Amino acid sequence: MKTAQEMKPNSVALIDGQPWLIQKAEFTKSGRNSAIVKMKLKNLLSGSSTETVYKADDKMEPVILDRVDVTYSYYSEPNFVFMDQEFNQYELNKDDLESVMPYIVDGMTDVCEAVFFEGKVVSVDLPTTIVRQITYTEGSARGDTSGKVMKPAKLSNGTEIKVADFCNIDDWIEIDTRTGEYKSRAKAPV
Amino acid sequence: MKATWDIFCSVVDNYGDIGVTWRLARQLVAEHGLAVRLWVDDLGAFVRLCPQADAQALRQIQQGVEVCLWRADWQAVEPADVVIEAFACELPVSYIAAMVQRAQKPLWLNLEYLSAEEWVEGCHGLPSLQSNGLSKFFFFPGFTAGSGGLLRERELLQQRRAFQADSGARDEFLSSIGVTPLPGARLISLFAYENAALASWLDVLAADAQASQLLVPEGRILADLQVWLGCTAMRAGDVQQRGQLHIQVLPFIQQDQYDRLLWSCDFNAVRGEDSFVRAQWAGRPLLWHIYQQADNAHLEKLDAFLALYKEGLSVDGQRALVELWHAWNTGQSVKESWNQLLQRWPEQQAHAEQWCLQRASQADLAEALVQFYLNWL
Repeated sequence: MKTAQEMKPNSVALIDGQPWLIQKAEFTKSGRNSAIVKMKLKNLLSGSSTETVYKADDKMEPVILDRVDVTYSYYSEPNFVFMDQEFNQYELNKDDLESVMPYIVDGMTDVCEAVFFEGKVVSVDLPTTIVRQITYTEGSARGDTSGKVMKPAKLSNGTEIKVADFCNIDDWIEIDTRTGEYKSRAKAPV
Repeated sequence: MKATWDIFCSVVDNYGDIGVTWRLARQLVAEHGLAVRLWVDDLGAFVRLCPQADAQALRQIQQGVEVCLWRADWQAVEPADVVIEAFACELPVSYIAAMVQRAQKPLWLNLEYLSAEEWVEGCHGLPSLQSNGLSKFFFFPGFTAGSGGLLRERELLQQRRAFQADSGARDEFLSSIGVTPLPGARLISLFAYENAALASWLDVLAADAQASQLLVPEGRILADLQVWLGCTAMRAGDVQQRGQLHIQVLPFIQQDQYDRLLWSCDFNAVRGEDSFVRAQWAGRPLLWHIYQQADNAHLEKLDAFLALYKEGLSVDGQRALVELWHAWNTGQSVKESWNQLLQRWPEQQAHAEQWCLQRASQADLAEALVQFYLNWL
């Protein structure tokens, strides 16, 4: 058993005999209220989705899932197509990819993991760290070089992210996909 | 047939948890005609709020509410139509099992603490799917239409207005708790946790041109008060004067009396949750001492409320309010901010009444709970 707080997006919990894919999980702790996790769940049998709330320390039963390395291949409306090393193709729609959608860009070469439940692909996990290029940001306002002052920036797919003030347009940056936070500047991928 | 409601309350500390659940239980009975059982694990705390109650009774009826001792060795009972676990307390395992077995499954609610934070609206009313097939719904009290609202009895504001318009009623009430108002003095109530900022406030009140009469119900702030006064063991009825400040200790008073105390005063310093909400219904300027948490988590909650409350005040009025509340909740001197607030006094008075009226235009917490149940059926 795991706590609700330990269950991450793209994992599956068995609740009352039903497999639920966790599409989104937001942890909140404040004041005297109990720490909670707001989740978006998708029932893998019925396909229905629901928003739920759990106490962070509620126990959940994780389902062990099969995983296969894949890379993003192309978009064929309404599906995103991923391919494994044996050229098998896996199609997922936007809802299936909710937690990784902000980082899907054309030409991405990240080795991802397709997640399977009972032989059917249900989602894709990105690596913990990915490298993306800034397509727009304002110039440095204060000349800060510490990396503590942040400003908004846009990626090629329109995703907005806070980056260090010294970052510029066309810079490559590392992003932590678990938190969606900027980590550092990076070299362009080869 | 009346719908039955079970409310479970585990008394953690102080009287906030039992205060809220006792008030809710009474309102559900009185205004919605429901059959309510209130399960309390500390009847001693309950008796402080309801002195006519029996601290030893396993079951008793008080003001229409069946008040039951929530014993560690739980005895099986038929679950109610609606089950509320207040403030995330853990229901007895066998009671949950009985909920699962019930032919008509009950509505299971987790009533959370009050917060003005933005995430509350996004989580209010959402289910938590349980492994036993039940769903537990999270119910968040709050200040906005997207939340569960605030506890407010149907006639409360009419009663408050009538009271405040009748100086005789005010004098009669104050006399009943042993208080004689001083002519021309500012009347202030003080209910707070231990607070390092208290001395600075007492200093500025004592040195003020206008006299202040500070009424302090027995509670945790008395120790700090005694240190400032340089005396020991203050008890109910004791009166002390330093400069322009007259201090009187009041006995621990019941909820209805406390409402009247808030209505009688020009300014109310309150703490926790229940007295904080009641002070807002008083329509008078207030100062909130929030329940402190590790890592200062409570300060975000404080700021979330201030962000809502200060809307409509002038820039100076906002600054005075925010600085006073921050200083009070971080143990800093309130001298400057209190004086700033006094300079904006009429504005603060009008704003407190306006805030009260705005909140009262929303459904109250008991009404929202009942409606949630009807929608769920």
